[in-house]
Amino acid sequence: MRTARLGVLLGVLLLLQTTVMTHLRIGGVMPDLGLVATIAVAYRGGPEAGALFGFAAGAAADLFLQTPFGLSALTWVLVGYVAGVVQEGLVRSAWWVPPVFGGLGCLAGGLAFLAIGALVGQEQLWTARTLRLAMGAAVYGAAVAPVVFGLVAVTLRHPGARAGRGANTAPW
Amino acid sequence: MAVRSGSRRRSVLVLLVLTSLTLITVDVRVAEHGPLRSLKDFSRDLVAPAQQIVDDAFAPVADWFDGVRSAGELRAENRRLRRRVEAAEGRAARAAVALRENEELRALARLPFLEDTPAVVAEVVAGAPGNFESTLVVNKGRADGVAPGMPVVTGAGLVGRVSAASRRRATVLLITDRMSGVAVRLVRTGGTGVAQGRPGGRLRLDFVPAETPVRHGELVVTAGLHNGAFPAGIPVARVASVRRLPGELTKTIELAPVAALRQLSFVKILEWPRAEGGG
Repeated sequence: MRTARLGVLLGVLLLLQTTVMTHLRIGGVMPDLGLVATIAVAYRGGPEAGALFGFAAGAAADLFLQTPFGLSALTWVLVGYVAGVVQEGLVRSAWWVPPVFGGLGCLAGGLAFLAIGALVGQEQLWTARTLRLAMGAAVYGAAVAPVVFGLVAVTLRHPGARAGRGANTAPW
Repeated sequence: MAVRSGSRRRSVLVLLVLTSLTLITVDVRVAEHGPLRSLKDFSRDLVAPAQQIVDDAFAPVADWFDGVRSAGELRAENRRLRRRVEAAEGRAARAAVALRENEELRALARLPFLEDTPAVVAEVVAGAPGNFESTLVVNKGRADGVAPGMPVVTGAGLVGRVSAASRRRATVLLITDRMSGVAVRLVRTGGTGVAQGRPGGRLRLDFVPAETPVRHGELVVTAGLHNGAFPAGIPVARVASVRRLPGELTKTIELAPVAALRQLSFVKILEWPRAEGGG
């Protein structure tokens, strides 16, 4: 059931990414909602959940990009997994965790996308300007992270769930 | 139990990474005609109606956001335009001469008349869905006769070319994208080269012979080489700066596109016959 709800959330975020967000660029950048959601899922569900959601979200994003299909999927799998591992040492209740965690995750994801892209033949991705864009997107990602983390939390919530850490043994 | 859980999640990670690498390899090797291309086209058609609805509904908010975001740019542009109007008044007397010169250059180069090229008018419905590419999405696709490779223009000049087309949507790779290269010609001197897209909305013309005279503001048009992707004579950009390092035998020219690529609403897709060719 939670898998279906996450699928719906992913569809909504993808639609927003390909429509509304393209109009909301600031300084040439916009947040990758799918990447922020991947980090949020990893934060709530752990490494396995983060990696699985990252793969689905990345593959969905790749459908609309010029870069090779699978590049975002690969990057977001790694980000989701690492974010899930890192979250095991975090204090969940802190208010600043979503923006900081989301921002750092987006920065790592952006840089990893550029680096892996360059490795698979997209050398044009690795420039000073794209690095700046990745940083800008990370700041923007941090700004929207509280909202996306909230949406993911609502999506993953079920009547018997207990708050706090511990949900990482089962993806969703 | 914890060991088993750790082993499982590492297995999942390895599986997903291998799957992703396989997808990348398949897409790179059979980019144009593979099943992944069909999947991409299908997805774009699938979201097209929702995209249109959201885009229409969000248009007023987007306009407001654009206004807020570009207020500073508009003020600067206003000042720049005032200066240009003053300069233009001074140049008005020379306009007739320039026009005649332009016509002579066109005749010399045997440029085809662009007006004769059939075209499809399309509305821009979205920008690039990612941060690291310069593309836009238009509301016309294969059903309207649009195909990959077709040049895209506005009244001002070249915008880019169609990089992908599904049944009802097409993605346009802008000339400023780093993956874009356009064979161009300097109008005054006839020097040719390939204008590569550059970050920040500019293009760059490398390896121009140092002795080639280049003027600031000089117009650059498509060269229309044999089997080229673009008809000859489409305005592409104007010379923004010229850089030559001491001792170098060539110089680098930075170009500013003549089309307002960040404020496009409608574009024209040319049904250019040699659409599948390069540069």
